[in-house]
Amino acid sequence: MTALAIGFVVIATVLIAAALLALLRVAHLVLSGADALERDGLARGERAPSWSLTDTDGTAHASPPVRPIQLLVFADHSLKSFPSVLAGLRALLGDSDLEIVILTRGPAEPASLALAQLGLAEVPVLSGSPRLYANYNVRVMPFVIFVDSAGLVRGSSLVNHDWQLVKLRQVAAIPPGDDQYPAAAVAATASAASAG
Amino acid sequence: MAELTLTAKVAIAVLLVAAGGAKLADLEGFAGTVRLFWSASFAVGARAIAAMIACTEIAVGTASLSSPLAGWVNYAVLGLCCAFVVVSAVGYFGYPGRACRCFGALTGRSFDGASVARAGLLAIAAAAAALLPVSPSLLRLGTLGRLGLVAGAALIAWCAFTAAAAIGAGRDARSMPAAPRGWTQ
Repeated sequence: MTALAIGFVVIATVLIAAALLALLRVAHLVLSGADALERDGLARGERAPSWSLTDTDGTAHASPPVRPIQLLVFADHSLKSFPSVLAGLRALLGDSDLEIVILTRGPAEPASLALAQLGLAEVPVLSGSPRLYANYNVRVMPFVIFVDSAGLVRGSSLVNHDWQLVKLRQVAAIPPGDDQYPAAAVAATASAASAG
Repeated sequence: MAELTLTAKVAIAVLLVAAGGAKLADLEGFAGTVRLFWSASFAVGARAIAAMIACTEIAVGTASLSSPLAGWVNYAVLGLCCAFVVVSAVGYFGYPGRACRCFGALTGRSFDGASVARAGLLAIAAAAAALLPVSPSLLRLGTLGRLGLVAGAALIAWCAFTAAAAIGAGRDARSMPAAPRGWTQ
């Protein structure tokens, strides 16, 4: 090869590498922004992942749930920093149609102890995984997803306040096929990041 | 001079491949732009045209990158760049502010004066590459070098596709109206 041909290959290699880095950078910037967080989770009516996991007491839990609605809380011991969310979860404990489970990204034991001290001893804490979080398209916590017994998502959002849980619970009571309620549908998909 | 010409040629080729890959990941979005210039009454749908444009960009960009001696590729690139100038100009005057989706979901750029200027610069660079040819004897690449450049082009296309798909996925999944900021309380 001549010097010019070698130069061509070198320039091409450098520009290809620069293009790849630029693409990665753009994707990273866009996906880490607040707008991207608003699109985290699963869309209402979408099929949620199926799984079966045991909690820290050895009791098996599954999704889709046996009860009409399951509230998946993607959180860990850092939930103590969200007292309003804790209050909202405690308020939902009395809902007989609702099964609440907390899915941690890693081992459940540390979070289980901390959450029990925060008044959520009744709520099973399951050891999730980064892969499971990715399947639910969840990156930030605390995030909640309501799933019905058919395995369909009823509501999905990042939450910072108890009233958001109340609103999501109201929306979750409406089957996905009955989306003739713009305000509720919007609420179901809205991210609390925008409210935070 | 030859170095400058070749740098311009490579830069345009890389841009074409990245733009094509990103458009393929957001065909519906790009088809929306095509519909601005394409009548619904035509036999071929806007989505098919969008796919054809994206594939053409990838093919021409890859050919330009891996076959620097092929003179016809330079003219194909020049033709594409001239088409970009026309589309940018028509978009600027006919649909100012509308998203052009030149890079699929990767950018939110719209038809404006800057887009016309960028397309014009690309066309000038493509014209330089086409009209100031480099002596073939100086630019003979080995098979390995060409394969490496094809692999590089494929990598860019894949990376652009993946990035655009990841960025656009959430938008597509949620067909409901955009949530108002401030939630509902």
